[in-house]
Amino acid sequence: MKNRVLKALAIVGGLCVSFGCASGRPSAEPGAINTPAPTALAQPVPDAPQNELSAEDELLLDETFGLENGNSFYTVADPLEPVNRAMFVFNDKLYFWVMKPVAEGYRFVTPTPVRSGVRNFFHNLGAPVRIVNNVLQGKGRAAEAEWTRFLYNTTVGILGFGNPAARYPELNVSPEDLGQTLAVYGIGDGFFLMWPILGASTLRDTAGMGGDRFLNPIGYVDPFELSLGLSGYDKINTLSFRIGDYESLKDAALDPYASFRDAYIQLRQSKIKQ
Amino acid sequence: MRVTSWIAIIVAFSLLLGFSAVLAETRPPMQTVKERIDQIITVLNDPQYHAPAKKEAQRDKIWEIASPMFDFMEISRRTVGSNWEKFTEEEKERFTAIFTRFLGNSYIDKMQGEYHNEQIVYVKELVREPQALVQTRLVREGAGMPIDYRMKLEDGEWKIYDILVENGVSIVQNYRVQFQSILQKEPPSHLIKRLEDKLKA
Repeated sequence: MKNRVLKALAIVGGLCVSFGCASGRPSAEPGAINTPAPTALAQPVPDAPQNELSAEDELLLDETFGLENGNSFYTVADPLEPVNRAMFVFNDKLYFWVMKPVAEGYRFVTPTPVRSGVRNFFHNLGAPVRIVNNVLQGKGRAAEAEWTRFLYNTTVGILGFGNPAARYPELNVSPEDLGQTLAVYGIGDGFFLMWPILGASTLRDTAGMGGDRFLNPIGYVDPFELSLGLSGYDKINTLSFRIGDYESLKDAALDPYASFRDAYIQLRQSKIKQ
Repeated sequence: MRVTSWIAIIVAFSLLLGFSAVLAETRPPMQTVKERIDQIITVLNDPQYHAPAKKEAQRDKIWEIASPMFDFMEISRRTVGSNWEKFTEEEKERFTAIFTRFLGNSYIDKMQGEYHNEQIVYVKELVREPQALVQTRLVREGAGMPIDYRMKLEDGEWKIYDILVENGVSIVQNYRVQFQSILQKEPPSHLIKRLEDKLKA
């Protein structure tokens, strides 16, 4: 059954690519991300009618706006807090002593286009995870978009090092993973976990991460050490784009552990909603 | 008598004119944010502030531009949440003052240290008076990070009361979680003290 769905998707996606329907589709905002000056700025209408917002837009507005002390927020139990806090300290040291210097050195010797290419390549390899999870969540359109994106970037983008699909907003759907799928199926977070190296997670998301590993080609690389090395390289490459983010977040917090725990929970909640 | 009623009419008229001028000048939320951010970027790129000795002056200048954009009283109240009632009037004021400085320091430091000509793309504004959401993207080395501003209309001006990063991580909620665990065990004065200590460090 799943095979059939995928096969159908492959055909649809393949047709799209071969007929150039993706490239022929005029995008609403060409190069939205790369626009140097925000010329494509939506001109705000001063006295626009109040009910012009779409249902999607409505969801983005602050639902706690009118509440005097809107203090209902989603939290996850943290019964292992002492252990998690210890892990947080361990990861903090690992970051400052190992990860950050390595990422900085790597960034220094590697030109940005190469690092971007590597980032695209690893992201492209994650396509099976995203496609399958879109299907599992019944998001046919998004699955199709991911599939088309995968084919397009693998061919035109040369094995996924390029990201020509970035120009088509309709192909860039929010990434899905098994943790989110399980959440959609009604499975709760369980409790919060801070893993060494891997960082913040919950019981559910950890299970999801394990499951997704089976869908990622990197997981099948033999020998196991090479597979692990590739994952590590992916992590360092990603980090090379965000050096300094961790420090600023940490400096802006009164209780860094609580701040990162909440940031993770909020991020996952917003992804599950998308 | 005549004269005074004329004066009254003139005063009323000019008040009305002044008032409508204010109304007409209500800038849309996205424009409010964009104007200020553009000015901040100009200051960040200004070569006259690039000497290390000028960092302080640059910070003051950025603060002068940025601070009117925010409603710090609202931010403080929301950050404390239901515990706000435990605060005396004096504590509310002290907390707002210290938390305002705390936020200013943390985020201006970050801007000064981290800004390397990233572009800001203004995506969309959603308005449902008196609230609005302005969606932007910070583009760094080809990758975009969403930063959204939650705003509130107050006396004819749109003011920021929360910032969302990565499509939904609320900064206000993040502080609320941190402060709540402190306020469960300690009185408001301790929280204020902790913020003061962190600022001094």
